[in-house]
Amino acid sequence: MVVAETASIQAAPARGVSRDFHSFSFTGSGKEYFGIWIVNVFLTIVTLGIYSAWAKVRRNRYFYGSTVLLGRAFEYHAKGKQILIGRVIVFGYLIAYNLLLTFVPIVGIVLVLLSLFFVPWLVARGLRFNARVTSYRNVRFDFVGTTGGAFKAFILGGFLSVITLGLLTPLASRWVGRYVGSNMRFGGKAFDTNPAFGPLYRGLFLGVGLALVVALVVLAIVMGTLRMAPGLFNPPAFNPSDIQIWQWVIVVAGYLATACLYGIVALFYSAAVRNAVWRSTVFDGKHRFSSRLSRGRYTLIAISNLLATILTLGLLRPWAAVRMARYKWTLTGVTVVGAVGTLMSEIEAQSSAVGAEFMDFEGFDFGF
Amino acid sequence: MASSSTEIARGEWHPAGSSHSVPSRLVEEGGSLKALDGSSTELASGVFAAVDISDRVGAIPRRVEFADGSLFETPDNEAVDRFLKLKGRVDHIHEWERFRPRLIAVVAATMLCGIAIYRYAVPALVEVAVLVTPPIVPQIMSTSTMETMDRTVFNHTQLTDERQNRIREGFRAIVTFSNRGEGGYTLNFRKGGVIGPNAFALPDGTLVVTDELIELAGDDTEMIVGILAHEIGHVDLEHSLRQIYRAAGVAGLIMMIGGDIGSGAEDILVQGAGLLSLSYSRGAESAADRHSVELMQKAGRDPTAAARFFDLLEEKLGDHGDTSILSTHPGTPERRKAILDYAAELRAKAQ
Repeated sequence: MVVAETASIQAAPARGVSRDFHSFSFTGSGKEYFGIWIVNVFLTIVTLGIYSAWAKVRRNRYFYGSTVLLGRAFEYHAKGKQILIGRVIVFGYLIAYNLLLTFVPIVGIVLVLLSLFFVPWLVARGLRFNARVTSYRNVRFDFVGTTGGAFKAFILGGFLSVITLGLLTPLASRWVGRYVGSNMRFGGKAFDTNPAFGPLYRGLFLGVGLALVVALVVLAIVMGTLRMAPGLFNPPAFNPSDIQIWQWVIVVAGYLATACLYGIVALFYSAAVRNAVWRSTVFDGKHRFSSRLSRGRYTLIAISNLLATILTLGLLRPWAAVRMARYKWTLTGVTVVGAVGTLMSEIEAQSSAVGAEFMDFEGFDFGF
Repeated sequence: MASSSTEIARGEWHPAGSSHSVPSRLVEEGGSLKALDGSSTELASGVFAAVDISDRVGAIPRRVEFADGSLFETPDNEAVDRFLKLKGRVDHIHEWERFRPRLIAVVAATMLCGIAIYRYAVPALVEVAVLVTPPIVPQIMSTSTMETMDRTVFNHTQLTDERQNRIREGFRAIVTFSNRGEGGYTLNFRKGGVIGPNAFALPDGTLVVTDELIELAGDDTEMIVGILAHEIGHVDLEHSLRQIYRAAGVAGLIMMIGGDIGSGAEDILVQGAGLLSLSYSRGAESAADRHSVELMQKAGRDPTAAARFFDLLEEKLGDHGDTSILSTHPGTPERRKAILDYAAELRAKAQ
């Protein structure tokens, strides 16, 4: 076997290089995850939240272990204790932050500046932790992003996005994609990501357009209904003081509508971002990833999942989570240039560089 | 090879840190676990206690890690479980996770726990939080709220000094009977703008009453005093702080389980908690109404004055609305009746 692989390394450059597309798959089932999930929730409640660290480990082990590429699943190796320590540290910082802000309000500015450093540091550490506790074919991932990079991608990007009322959101997404994607390593080899602006802006504007269409339809229905209601839009009977009573209704309806529209744009856009980021991701300079989510279908799945979860008081959440994971991974793949065996044997040679130090720190974990 | 060996499961073996894999068998031989390849050559071995077998999670591949860092992996979870059971090791968490009738017991217990926390633990934590909150917190909250309101909606009052003084006089009469005494409150007059006829209290004891409300009251100063007594009630009973902590507590409860909820659902649930806190706010309104009756009674003024305000609301604004799940305040007729009843009750007690 090893001999054959060595031969193919030499043969590959000479002849036409083979390119094979391999799709991810997700083998988890809603039924199986239901048991894991409900026991997680139960133990988290009775231990007043402490078990949530171990719950996260079991959940991630299930989801990583059900995500399969080339017949092999990913693995999640974090230990509950590591994650608990990370959470205690973050929780302690938040308490100290709030106490200081309460008793010595004047240091507020200093604290905000400190947070500008602390949050990116946490994000970088969290990404590194998550990478290092993830493995595929017995080889660990690694993340080499710096605190400064996290500051640019998450804080500066978020700030620019907010002050331009979302117009620079694709820039922020691009920075995040580059930061996370290009600092990822697997077996000593690098990933590289450089999402283009085109698909990001298309996703954003299509999302906003879709939300506006939905808004107009809803508005038409609401206006039509209100026309039926006597009093409010009937000029002779219209009494300005009615506004007092209706104000509240309008505020609530407006608030809910805004939240829904924001949700549609966010979902639609996040599918576009995922596609753009994955499609521009290259491993080891030649193996290209792909993601073919339909933005509309992704949004519909997310919304119907949410409705199903709420209507069943959360009991369908495991089914929804598995359904979404299956949709996402089925449409994700990688085109391997050359033989997979060649790729894997090259990875092995450098993998010993990673490894020794990965278990000695706290598990700051963030859900990216 | 001659010694008795039992095969546990078939799978793949990886050398330490390598992506290479070899089809292999996991066997137990003379108290040790061994990974053997097709020709029964030993790939790795170790005593049972020194080998790390991962806990079972669903049907994902099982990992058996040897001390030298090499790894045996198998999808045959059942076989590994059978072996561990012989060794006296049962994974209780996995046993409970299996999709069996007894999982219904877990679901029921989880729901009961959730309800119990919502009903008992959150309110208890809210009380503790209110007790340990230093006074500077409500002060900061109130100062910034007042500044924002002054900048955005309010204008200077247009009431005459005489009118203001009459109200202040009544206010002083009742405020001495409040929990915080006269120094604990400041009364402000503002032109309400878009918020119209209204009165409200900030948690540090800043009270605001709008010109519009006073105009609505006409000559009935006593009624204004009754309304102010109601607002004092909110501050005395620390309603704002309780409501904030309650919303934070429920959000925390959801986030605690949250890792397993999903971000979209989490947002909606946190918003839903906001809606639920409205029903709590209705309870707070009734409590403040009763506080108003008590204060007015103690000050020797008309305890039912605030009820007249509800007459006024019904008359002038046509507000006959009943309580609904979306209201911050209970229905107007209901509140008026509650005030009259409570005043009668207090009077009966006094006699």
